[in-house]
This record gives sequence, structure tokens and C-alpha cells, in this order.
Amino acid sequence: MSPEWLSPTTLDEALELRAELGEDAPTVAGGTFLGVLVNQRLLEPAAFLSLRRVPGLEGISANDHLHLGAMTTHSAVERSPVVRERWPALAQAFSVVASPRVRNQATVGGVLADADYASDPPAMFVALGGRAVARCLAGEREIAVEELITGYYETSLRPDELITEVRVPVGPERAVYRKFRSRSHEDRPCVAVAAAVANGTLRVVVGAVAERPQHFPELCAGSPAEIGRRYAEAIEPISDARGSADYRRRVIAVEVRRALAELRWTG
Amino acid sequence: MVSGAVRYAADVELTGMLHARILRSPYPHARVLRVDTTAVPSGVVVLTPDDVRGLGAYGCQIKDETVLAVDRVRHVGDPVAAVAARTPREAEEALALIEVEYEELPAVFDPVEAAEQDAPLVHEAHRVSENPAAYFGLRPEAGTNVCHRFRIRSGDVDAAFGDADVVVEETYRTAAAQHAAMEPHASLARWDDERLEVWTGTQTPFNVRADLASVFGIPEERIRIVALPMGGAFGAKAFVRLEAIVAALARKAERPVKAVLTRPEEWVTLNRHPAVITVAVAARADGTLLAKRAESWADTGAYADCGPGVAQKIGYTVVGPYRIPNVYVDSHCVYTNLPPNGAFRGYGATQAVWASERLMDVLAERLSMDPLELRLRNVLRDGDAFCTGEIVHDVRFAECLEAAASAIGWSEGRRGKGLCVLLKGMQTPSRAAVAIEVDGGRFVLRCATTEMGQGARRAISLEAARLLGVESEQIAFPNPDTDVVPYDTRTTSSRSTHMMGRALEEAVRDLRESSGTRGFGEIRNDGGLDPDTGQGIASSHWHQGACAAEVRMDEETGKVDVVRVHASVYAGRVVNRPGGELQNEGSMIMGLGTALFEAVDFEAGQVTNANLSDYEVPSIADMPELTHDLIERDGAEVHGLGETALPPVPAAIGNALASLGLHMTELPITAEAVLEAVDRGRKSDVGAVTAG
Amino acid sequence: MRLSLRVNGEAHDVQARADEMLLAVLRRELGLLSVRESCGVGVCGACTVLLDGEPVSGCLLFAPLAEGREITTAEGLGGEHPVQRAFAEAHAFQCGYCTPGMVLTVKRILEVNPSPTLDEIKLELAGNLCRCGCYVKIVEAVQRAAANATAIP
Repeated sequence: MSPEWLSPTTLDEALELRAELGEDAPTVAGGTFLGVLVNQRLLEPAAFLSLRRVPGLEGISANDHLHLGAMTTHSAVERSPVVRERWPALAQAFSVVASPRVRNQATVGGVLADADYASDPPAMFVALGGRAVARCLAGEREIAVEELITGYYETSLRPDELITEVRVPVGPERAVYRKFRSRSHEDRPCVAVAAAVANGTLRVVVGAVAERPQHFPELCAGSPAEIGRRYAEAIEPISDARGSADYRRRVIAVEVRRALAELRWTG
Repeated sequence: MVSGAVRYAADVELTGMLHARILRSPYPHARVLRVDTTAVPSGVVVLTPDDVRGLGAYGCQIKDETVLAVDRVRHVGDPVAAVAARTPREAEEALALIEVEYEELPAVFDPVEAAEQDAPLVHEAHRVSENPAAYFGLRPEAGTNVCHRFRIRSGDVDAAFGDADVVVEETYRTAAAQHAAMEPHASLARWDDERLEVWTGTQTPFNVRADLASVFGIPEERIRIVALPMGGAFGAKAFVRLEAIVAALARKAERPVKAVLTRPEEWVTLNRHPAVITVAVAARADGTLLAKRAESWADTGAYADCGPGVAQKIGYTVVGPYRIPNVYVDSHCVYTNLPPNGAFRGYGATQAVWASERLMDVLAERLSMDPLELRLRNVLRDGDAFCTGEIVHDVRFAECLEAAASAIGWSEGRRGKGLCVLLKGMQTPSRAAVAIEVDGGRFVLRCATTEMGQGARRAISLEAARLLGVESEQIAFPNPDTDVVPYDTRTTSSRSTHMMGRALEEAVRDLRESSGTRGFGEIRNDGGLDPDTGQGIASSHWHQGACAAEVRMDEETGKVDVVRVHASVYAGRVVNRPGGELQNEGSMIMGLGTALFEAVDFEAGQVTNANLSDYEVPSIADMPELTHDLIERDGAEVHGLGETALPPVPAAIGNALASLGLHMTELPITAEAVLEAVDRGRKSDVGAVTAG
Repeated sequence: MRLSLRVNGEAHDVQARADEMLLAVLRRELGLLSVRESCGVGVCGACTVLLDGEPVSGCLLFAPLAEGREITTAEGLGGEHPVQRAFAEAHAFQCGYCTPGMVLTVKRILEVNPSPTLDEIKLELAGNLCRCGCYVKIVEAVQRAAANATAIP
């Protein structure tokens, strides 16, 4: 059976379809993550809900907050003058994702909705206090990215919701994103660290080591080495092609410490 | 090339062609109790074990393969059934409708374990093949999983080890690797009357023809193989891969059938032999090598393919390019229930050189000798005897070593630097024949050398042009077609430019002497080794090279950064300089992958990283400062360049780490393993020498 | 479904399933065989096409998403494009399978950054794998094209 391609032209139409269609009709933003699943026949949906023609979902603007439309590509974020000037670590985190091809296709909303544990942007959003805007027919709500991603490829989005925007509060004093690859330069991260200081408060987030970005606010005090050690003890890392759990623990301590040194955090 | 106009096997279309898909075993070892295809729609052609039960077995060295697994599957991915349908999607859907009942059997996944007496047998009997690739005495050990063992017995190792001032010993391991050519395997077959025609990306058209003749019980003359250019091969496309299945499907369908593998299928089709090699070396205090012992287990997976040949090559390559009067080698080729392993650029040299050259640095450290000096003291020079008894000629090992060492600034300081020198053999015996047809102002080469990116077509055309005294534009070199081209052993072993070059000389001479429109030339290189003593002629000439690497290492994460790497390769005479450079550069980059991150991961016989995201090949961003030499000598023979610069790269990197006190014994050298070695080094009193 | 695609400057009507990727559609419907299948997961670049001038993975682009965009494949470069000439002159290929993807990507790199440093070249091409290992000469080709170019068409 040949699947259907649904391409609504208004947000309301898209939300109606999203509410109507069941699990068997995924949302298509850039489609790269979905494409991998479809190519391997891991997913054989009856229909696809494309957001391509819905106006108003693409774009970057900033007042005190940064507003990223859900359909904004990774490339656009990477190159945006306002992001580079006021949220440079976020531009950096988007710039190290995969390859230029993927960055030209993949979107801000898509990378959050996919909740892939090894993706770069989610950890950075959590460190910056980013919030996703989820719309449904009944209205909209803001979900902290930290609360949005709930497990491996799992989010707290309801089946009738679409992410329309991601908001990031006023630029931090300093922020950094580090991506440690244990193998090839093109590897997905073994350990990623996103850290930001805003209003004197430090947020440290470790990505790619567990099902969700790892943030322990109570541990974000002390010297860089102390924080690194405590994060390494607190996290239960996974084992995969990029490193064992033990190895990841070692690297977490080192990379957190190095991120904080880059951040000029003295404790 | 630059417009994308090259046509590979997957691009070939024949009217009425069907698309094939293969159903594969999910178990590493099992009886096949029942294959139920009743749910498959009538428009789809299905090939079942019953369809192929009456067909012949095949295999380039051991006849242990059948078109589909019949009654028993021996590895995850072993083909159990196949379908051909109008579209690839229809074929996939049909595949899902086939039900297979299996009864699992005990399986074995390690070659040392599998070689033991009580291990579960992957094959009960070993039948040596009549295929020309079974050119050496095969020594299967009945009732075991050892399908070949090769020995070298030279001198008296026991006495020499007894007399030595120093003895060092270590066991080295190399993981399986995947060729990962950018173009997946593709083949297309059609029956015309009682004639079989196959268009395929193959390095070995005549071996494939011989094996298909065996399968279908028809004379070779009724089979035609057309060898399309390949998008990379590196050994993956040698011998029968998809050709038998598409031929059987095409016969049942009475229509042409094409099969193109999906990327994940590549990991269950052919990989590189993992190896466990124990080496011991005995030396005098002044660094003179007295004796060497080596025992090797190459894991050939569930089907032997050319594993016996690889085991033989490992057997003498592990001795190294050194004068060693007493040598004792046992090299085994062992079945396990992993996917088959076969030819992979280097053909056993990578695994052997890793063991041999890493141990040389262990010896150097024990003797407090400069690793360069130790090697120069012992390398073979013209007129020396190799452990096989053959006298080596035109060898430049010392020159290669010195060039590599100099390129890396060896004399300015050795910390973080490592060296490696290697010898690699070329297929011996073999033969090559070529015909030249004059067609107006054009000269058409009838040549079986296949093109996989190595530039053989270009190099052979340039040679032909040079010998004929014409412009290269006047040379035509069509895709090899076994109906039309004379016999050539195969396009492997970096032999083609050398062998075809010599055959061309004969063909041009014949053309001139006959002053007709066709010239024919055939040459052979004779030799071979006694499998029980390893004596004879291993190689009519030697591929020779050295590599030097400089590394930095992050002590807190174990991450190794290769700062620069240099290979010096003896080319003899370079026919096509850009082509030669590309071969060195490409080999070195592939060596980098083997050194640092390429490993096929298995769990209970399943490949767990069967994709190019989890299994990584080097990207341009991984490239260190990379330089090389192609060393030439006036009047020298063309020496093949396709593989030489790959095997020494991992050993040079391993030796560079050894200079930092980290003794790695396994490939790939992962950051995690390096960090463990750093930890061990910190804990040890001496602070340096530990095995990792 | 029927799709209208603009490929290499021409409009085409093609048949495709909604779950087909542009790679399969370009090959089957338009015979554009320079766009090649290799990894199926978007990491190797053999399937690279330009979408409104920017490189994307043809194997991960749902065909319907390509409507209304300008698609460029290597066939559309004419054979004498400065980047193609630079690759030919630098001998920056062996088996040729990855070459169309490389050429298209380099075309875009030089449009944005006419004089890239070695590090920039490596970063921008890191997503285009060449198993034959032609990277040394590919770098030379990019530098040659950069040196020769006054404007990339």
C-alpha cells in the first residue's frame, strides 16, 4: 500500500491532521531521522504529515529571548548573525552536528522531537534553559527542553501536539559546547558537555552518555575538577560502539573539567 | 569520472529484468527444518534450498559453499532463500512472507577455541577445490575446524632460542574489518539458451566462471562473465559473491535477475580475517636475530573463501624482511560461525606485520637499541636467503626504512615516533595473457584486468601506448569479457600492472613479428611453497615498504592524534605517477582506519555495527600530515603499489605509542585501550613496559 | 503520487511513492545515475545533490520535499565546470563512485568561501567519504579550483 503525503498549508490544518492521525503518521520536518527509519523499513507508515508548507514555522528572531522557528534548519542557526553574536555556544553546537548536508535538512523542532540521545543541540538547549513551544488545537504550552526529552527517542509531547518554536532566554554571560569523539572526526559524540553561566548560576549538562541530557543543578558548585568528578559519579553512562560505561565515566570527569576551564569557571 | 558517467554493475539494465532479495539466517549455526514459501505471491520467483540441492558446491580453495544454505546455516546472514520480483520493494515484501523453521546448534566464534579438538564443527569434511585459486597444497585437518595449515620449518629454532641472549614473546590480535567499498556488491545474470551470462562487479572473472561451471555442471565455455568497473573493491569483490544466486534465480525465472546488496548486508557477505598471532624472537645482545617462532590463527568465518591463501601469506609475512636462519611457523586457517572472511587489501599482511613489527620494538627496548638500528642490522639485502629458502633480489628494505625515518626526523628525537618495515608477496605462481587487436588507428586491448579504482586500465593502456609507440588516446580497453579476453589469474595481489605489462611486451613483439592485426602475449611467474616446510618460492618479486608515524596522545582520554605519517614504497618503475601516488595515499588512509577505529563488532555471532555510522571509515578530517615516496631504480621491474602502504601504518602508530611507554597489542588501537595502558603504566614501578 | 521536479534547469513530471527518497526517484525516473546509493543513512555523501544550491543527502530527502526547489546533479554541471576540471587535473579520484558528490559539495564550498584554508576544506568535506582515500588529491583539487576561479557559475 502506497502511503499518503499530507501537506497542510496552515498551522490549524496541520494541528487538525495531527490530532486526527494516529501514531502511524509521523510528522515530517527535515525528514532526515525519519528517512533513516524508512530506508531500513523500521517504519512503514500509512501517511506522512509534512510541515513544509505551513507558514510561520521558519525563522530566527530575538528580543531579549531568542526565537527559533521549529522548521529552521541547523545551517540557518549555525550561520545566523544574531545567534553567533548573542548565543555563540548554541551556534557552535548546531555547527558540529553531522555534516553540512544533514545541517541543511535537519530542523530545530525535529532534533528535539526525535530525542536522539547522541544529538548535540538538546544538551546545549538544556544548559541555556531553552523551552519548546508545543501547540495543539486547544492552545499552546511551553515545555523546558529538560522536561521535553523523557527517554530514548521519547518526549513528553502529546500525540496531538506540534513543536512550533524554541525559545532561549537572554544570552548567558558565557557558554561553551564541547564534543568529545573517541574515534573518527565524523563520529557521533562519546561524551558531550554543554555549560553556561547566567546571573552567576552555572548549568552543566552532559549529553550522549545516557537516554536524556544529564543535568544535576545541585552539583554545579565547586571547582571544575570537583564538578567533573561528581558528575562522573552521578551519571550511569551507556556502553556503545563509542565507548564502555567505565570509559565514559572517565571522560565525563575530564570533559566537564575542561568545559569549565574554557568557561573560566573558578568555583 | 567527474560527470558521474561511469556505469557500475548496479546501473546495468536488461529488458524484463527482475530484482532479487536474499533471505538470511538470523542464527549463527542452525539446522534448517522447513522453508515455507506458500504465502509468496505467484508473480514472484522464489529460490528455495530444494531448488539448489542438486547444484554443485563451489569455493575458490575449499569447496564448502552452496548457492543457498541447504539443511544447515553456518553464520548469521547465511542465505537461506531468495526471491526475484518486478521491483526491489516487491521483492522485499515477498521475502517477509517466507517462513523458515530453524533448530539452533552450538556455535563457535573464536579461532583459537574453534581450532581445538572438542569445538563444534562448522563443516564435517573439507573438500579441496579444483578452482585455479587452489594453487598450493592445501592441508585441511580432518575432523577439526582447521581447513588449512601452513608451516615453515627452517633451521633449528629450539637450539637457537636456547643460545640466545634475549628472547621476547607476545600475542597480538587484529579485529575483523569491513572493506566498505562505496559501491555495494551488484550482479546481474541471464540465461540465453543454455548459456549463462553474468554482468558483475568482480575482480576475478575467470575464477567466477570456473566456480559457476562447478555449480551448474556445465562447461566453462557456456558461461560468460562481463566484469564491470567497480566503485572500490579492496578484495571484497574477489571470487563468487552474488553471481551464483542471481544465476540460479535467473534460470528459474527464465528472465534476467539483478541483485544489489543493501549496505548492512555487506557485513554478512565478506570481511577481513581477524587473527591471533603469537610471535617470539630470539636475538643476540648486539641485536642479531637468531630465530623466530610464530603461531597464527586466522578466523575465516563459516566459509573458507581464500582463507587458506591468507593463512599462507600470514605464515611467511610474519617472519618479516629479515635474515633469520631459524624459523618455525604454524599458520592456521580456522572456521568459526561468523560471516565469511576473505581477501582484504594486504591479504594477511596487515595482521602479520602488526605482530611482527610490534615485537621488533619490544625487542629493541629490551636491548636498549634504537628500533631503526635494530632493523637495519637485520633487514634482507640482495643475495640474502628468506626463511623460505629463496634468494631475494632487487630488495630495498634498508633504503625504504631510511627514507621513512628521515622523513619523520628520526635523528632529531624519537619520542612519539614509530617505524615499520615490511615485505609482502605477490601472487606466485600466476599467469597473465593479453591480446592487442589493430582496428584502423586504434589498438584494442583484450585484457582481463578489472578496474576497481586502482587505475589498472590507465596504467596498462599507458604501457601499451609506450610499447607500441602511439598516443594513449589510441588505446581502447573495454570491460573484460571472458568470451573475448585471454586468461589472467585475477586482479588481486597488486600484480596487474607488473604482469600485464610483461604480457604486453610479448603481445607487442608478436604483433610486430606477425605484422598482422592481432598480437598475443602470455607470461607466467612460477613458484610456490611446500605447505609442510614453507620452502620454495613465495613470491617472484617482493613488494617492499616502510612507514614512520609521529603521534601525540591525550593522557586523560587516551585519544591518539597522528601528527604525521610517511610511507616509503619501492616501486621499481612507476608507470603512471598520479596513479601510483593515489595508491600510496589511499593505502595509508585505509591503514589509519585499521589502526585507530575499524572493527567489526560481534555479539553471539551477530554484527552489531553493520552501518557506516557505527562502523567508521576515515574521513578527510581524520587525515594527518601525510607524505610518501615512490622509490624507483633504473632498469627495475614494475612493482605493484596497490597494497604495500597499508599494513605498515598501524604498526608504525603502535610503535610510536611504544616510544611513549604504551605497548598496544590489539588493533584497532582504541582510546579506551590506550587509557587502560596509561593506567597500567602509572601503576607499574618501572612505569613503562606493559602489554595492552 | 505525481511530483513536479525541477532538475538541472528543466521541469519534469515524475511518479513516486510518498515514502521514496529523491535518490531513487532521480535514478529511476530521470536516469541520473551520478546520484548513487551507498550507505542509506546520510553519512557518506555518494547521494549528494544540490537543493537550491545547497548540498543535501538524496537518500534522506523525501521526494515530495524536493518539489518547488532547484535540484542540481553532477550531470547538470556540463562536464567542463571549473570544479570538475580541477578534479580531473589533480587526478582527485580513483573508482569515481564518490566523485559526483564531492564535486557538488566543493562547488558550494567555493561559492561561500572562495579561498578556504586546509582546515576549512577538511571540515567542509568531512561528510563526503572516499574509501579509495583520495583525500590528498581532493584537497589539491579544491585548492586548484580556488586558485583558478574568478567566479563560480
